[in-house]
Amino acid sequence: MIAQEQKPIEEILGYLEGKQKVVVMGCGGCATFYHTGDKKAVRDMGERLRKEGKEVTEIVLPLGISACEIDMSSKFLEKKRKAVENADALLMMSCGDGAQVIADYIEKRIGATVAVVPANDALGLVGGGPKKFKETCQMCGQCELGKTVGICPLTACGKGLMNGPCGGVREDGKCEVDPEKDCAWVKIYERMEKLGELDKFTEMRDPHAWSRAKRPRLFEIEEPVKPVSAILGSLPSYLTLFTGPKYEEEE
Amino acid sequence: MSDEVYSQLMKELSEGKYVFTGELEPEKAGDVEEPIKAARELVGLVTACNVTDNPQSFAYVSSLAAAYKIQLETGMECIYQLRCADRNRSALLSDILGAGVLGLKNILALTGDHVALGDTPDAKPVYDLDSTTLIALIRRVVDEGKDLAGNEIHNPPKLHVGAAAAPGAAVLKAEIAKVKRKIKVGAEFIQTQVVYKTEVLDRFFKELGKVDVPILVGIFPAKTYAQADFFDKYVAGVDVPPDYLQHMKETKAIKDKEKRKEEVDRVNIEFFTEFLEHLKDTPAAGCHIMAVGYPRIIPALKKVME
Ligand code: SF4
Ligand code: SF4
Repeated sequence: MIAQEQKPIEEILGYLEGKQKVVVMGCGGCATFYHTGDKKAVRDMGERLRKEGKEVTEIVLPLGISACEIDMSSKFLEKKRKAVENADALLMMSCGDGAQVIADYIEKRIGATVAVVPANDALGLVGGGPKKFKETCQMCGQCELGKTVGICPLTACGKGLMNGPCGGVREDGKCEVDPEKDCAWVKIYERMEKLGELDKFTEMRDPHAWSRAKRPRLFEIEEPVKPVSAILGSLPSYLTLFTGPKYEEEE
Repeated sequence: MSDEVYSQLMKELSEGKYVFTGELEPEKAGDVEEPIKAARELVGLVTACNVTDNPQSFAYVSSLAAAYKIQLETGMECIYQLRCADRNRSALLSDILGAGVLGLKNILALTGDHVALGDTPDAKPVYDLDSTTLIALIRRVVDEGKDLAGNEIHNPPKLHVGAAAAPGAAVLKAEIAKVKRKIKVGAEFIQTQVVYKTEVLDRFFKELGKVDVPILVGIFPAKTYAQADFFDKYVAGVDVPPDYLQHMKETKAIKDKEKRKEEVDRVNIEFFTEFLEHLKDTPAAGCHIMAVGYPRIIPALKKVME
């Protein structure tokens, strides 16, 4: 999931200065989990902007409909096509990806050019929850987990080292960069020790190949998923949610 | 790795001579007058001097430029420190080749403190390589005349590469494994982080076992109480013995400047005589004296090792 936080309202208002008609659009994906683009966030933002004297149109995406998945999100955008065409600005309550996917659609498919403004700061690809999340992968394009017993050296290590630990590990095994975080390389050492694979630790790992992270990366898949049938097909699995054991978050 | 020796440092180490090295710090300035002055005071006292590369991620005069100037103007052989924090592998290669062109003979390959801890915390941290892969790069350049991508280098430089070690590392077994890794990829000498406690040193040598590269133990005779206190409080893996700290603290009360200097020297000589006597019974090949701007203490320390 993409962790995110709403920007300070002053910053948002700064971007919207001189823009009278504003469309506020949310996201039913990650932004809903982070309360940065759910229905309430969109409504609250709408209200706040009306107080500033702006004419606001709100677009709420229901849970499961992510702004970045254009096939679905565009249907909600199209419903407010008139307002979008006439808008001075579109305030996107999603991550930067959602914001740009929507901006692109508006420009190419609706044929309008609207200033797209971010309401949120995207903070990384994270996992975990329901309350605590952790960034564990930065989608580097050439996964190294096979060399580091499943702990990402690029993301979990404060310096992204392929051959740690650095000289800065703290007394309690925490990271030089942040005393709140464990040193990834101490964790890698300990896991290798448990697995009896310490010989791997003393081997040099080659520098990471960054050539697979040439940006922006483009992809194409042969057979697109049909969202409606995917949802319907998944229903039986959802039912097992009510029969399985309950997950308890670690304190 | 060839057995050829290109520098005075490696010559003395390979002859089994007990070696002292010093440290010089370029500053945030448009010149290197201060480190040149400090180098002049160290000529004859140490074999070579490290020239620091943005220590603690404070951005200063480039260590490459400073090392070149210092070596040229004072004749002091330099150990050019090179960090991975600020440069990608291409920039590192350029600097390695540049070091050869400028007549530098020794590089100390470092990962480097995180840029967020320095004086320009918004800078983008690089760490394209780490200390291990930087050592591998330097060896590859010198021994094979190739860079990491396998590109040929015409007339490759003749350089030696050293590595750092942290005897006081919190998780010593991981540090030991890393030091062994650095030796395996071609580090030719080791300089350790500052050590004050003999038990820390003994544990390090015991865990490391026999290795065939010379190890210079880092010491820091503090010129003031504040310096000793800084190491104790803020430097990862460095513990200063309470007695030494206390004696240094007491010198603060001495009003007369000359008398205070004398007492600081006395405290240091007493403490380090015992420490160095102990060092004789370890596999250490020398001592890296990191006390910047405190050359007057060195003759007394060298005397212990004679
Ligand atoms: S190496 Fe790390 S960043 Fe790259 S894909 Fe694997 S987990 Fe993600
Ligand atoms: S302390 Fe560990 S996790 Fe932090 S930067 Fe150093 S090696 Fe990486």
